Amino acid sequence: MEGDFVQGAKMIGAGLAMIGTIGAGAGIGIVVSGAVQAMGRNPDFSGTIQTNMILGIAFAEAVAIYCLVVALLLLFAV
Amino acid sequence: MEALGLNLGYVLVQIFNFAILFVVLRVWVYKPILGLLERRREAIAKGLEDARIAAEARENAEKEAEKLLNEARSKAAAETREVTQRAEQQAKEIRAAAEATASKAREAALAEVETERARILSDLRGQVAALAVAAAQKLIGEALDAKKQKALIDEFFSGVKAGKVTVLEGTEVSGAAAVVTSALPLNKEEQDAVQKQVLQSLGGKGEVTFRVDPNILGGLVVRVGDKVLDGSVSGQLGALRQSMR
Amino acid sequence: MEQSRKWWRFGVNRWFVLLFIVLNVIAVSAYPPLRPHIQLPAEALTEQPLFIFPLVNAPVYLTNTLVATLIGDILLLLIGFGVWRAVGSGQMVPRGLSGAVEAFIEVLYNLTESTAGKWAKRIFPYFATITLLVLVLNWMELIPGVDSIGFFNERHIENPFECSFVQLPLGAVGITGASNECVKGVIPFVRATATDLNFTLALALIAVVMVQVIGVRAQGLSYFSKFLNVKTFFTKPVFGVIDFGVGILELVSEFSKIFSFAFRLFGNIFAGSVLLFVIGTLVPVFAQSGVLMLEFFVGAIQAVVFGLLTMTFMAQATQSHGGEGHEESH
Repeated sequence: MEGDFVQGAKMIGAGLAMIGTIGAGAGIGIVVSGAVQAMGRNPDFSGTIQTNMILGIAFAEAVAIYCLVVALLLLFAV
Repeated sequence: MEALGLNLGYVLVQIFNFAILFVVLRVWVYKPILGLLERRREAIAKGLEDARIAAEARENAEKEAEKLLNEARSKAAAETREVTQRAEQQAKEIRAAAEATASKAREAALAEVETERARILSDLRGQVAALAVAAAQKLIGEALDAKKQKALIDEFFSGVKAGKVTVLEGTEVSGAAAVVTSALPLNKEEQDAVQKQVLQSLGGKGEVTFRVDPNILGGLVVRVGDKVLDGSVSGQLGALRQSMR
Repeated sequence: MEQSRKWWRFGVNRWFVLLFIVLNVIAVSAYPPLRPHIQLPAEALTEQPLFIFPLVNAPVYLTNTLVATLIGDILLLLIGFGVWRAVGSGQMVPRGLSGAVEAFIEVLYNLTESTAGKWAKRIFPYFATITLLVLVLNWMELIPGVDSIGFFNERHIENPFECSFVQLPLGAVGITGASNECVKGVIPFVRATATDLNFTLALALIAVVMVQVIGVRAQGLSYFSKFLNVKTFFTKPVFGVIDFGVGILELVSEFSKIFSFAFRLFGNIFAGSVLLFVIGTLVPVFAQSGVLMLEFFVGAIQAVVFGLLTMTFMAQATQSHGGEGHEESH
């Protein structure tokens, strides 16, 4: 019985942890929006902008990855 | 770690796997393909270079052809000009020769006519003198000394009296050439005398030409430069007519 | 012509699609879909370990992700061999698959050259190998049978991976507790490799370690002054401390790169495969096709992102880091 409660709490915790990905999603959206606008204004530099955009996305996504790791640890490890 | 499935053994296996793939792909794929890309780039560059060289060669050939053409053209033009010139020259020469021949013939004819005329006039001279003497005898009614008459007639015609040219008396002339006109041809002595005196009055130098013009009736007209010394009978008659009016 | 056109009014392919959907409905009603059990670690397919890793004393079983890795390796090696033969035959433009690989490699190389400049030749093999390997392994997930054909497991096997099945919230079939009872569940023979953290961690370790190696090759030992920045520590007291702190942060960020590399790929592909399972179980007809299309793009994008990030970090490591006196050093 108690184990079921713990199990449920873990799952709720994992779900809560994934809320943090909201920020990453918004951040990636902002990065891509800026990059696309820049590419539209200045199509000659699309290559450079794309590389930098992917770098920026990677850094924004890192936060979401921490959330994912926490969620996975809660689900499977703790 | 265990719950996430992390296990050093698997990680090492994957790393080895990656290393093997890395080496094999590098040998089989990347090096040949990068070499291929390089070769292709070179081939393209070489193609462009070749095209450039070919274009240059063509341009040179065109230039050469143009030059040859120009040379041929100018040579042809020069030849044409030369031929034309030569033809013109020949035409001119022919024309000149013809003209020369014609003028020579004309001159010859003129000279002949002149000599003929002079001969006729000099033939006439004796008869005219005789006629004049006869007419005078008839008019005056007495016979003159024949010798004297002859001298008078000669003076009348030649304007030379006792070896002197009457028209030159008391005048001064200057010039390089004198033209002496008489009504009838002068004989040799008269000509010599006239020439001598004219030259004397001209200052020893000069050229004397004799002409015959029956219209002056008698005496001499000497023209030196722009000055005319009129010793002719017709001139004297004209002056007389002027004064009588 | 006119008549047949009237008869096949919507074209042949639509009728085929409809036929397959009907067959799908019949098949699903006869044999209801079984949810493959979801678990993080790869399942072992053999009872005995293949070998025990000598130095670290770690047993290595033949897991299903390892099988997928081997299949991917074979595919890649075949492609590589084909390319090698095509290029070796002396033709200027390879045809078929070799031509496609060559075009892909050319695109990657141009990208590397524009980012890394003269270090492109050294960086490029890592970039290309990571991209190709991850791409092939990600797209293997789309092959029918991968992740779905396997042991229908009711065995009771004493090994640590086999019996850590998770109880799933959605009326799952493959259920295990912490106990050793391994009840019904499908253990696929082949499972997408990127759903195994060992693989992604190995790639991330290679990427980050090679970034350091290339950095040292490009800048010598002065590369490490990026992490241990004591140059301005004594000359400018306040900013020196800040610079030192930034250097420590750089060091931390190198470790977090490993972490984010590994978990980005793992998270995306694992989430994708879970989505495929769940959709396949909930709506067994037709709906999975859309998710497969999505997974096609996610797999390609993650492969390119992994490679591109590695390449960019390597290119950054070859350039000296912000210092005033560093620019002339190379």
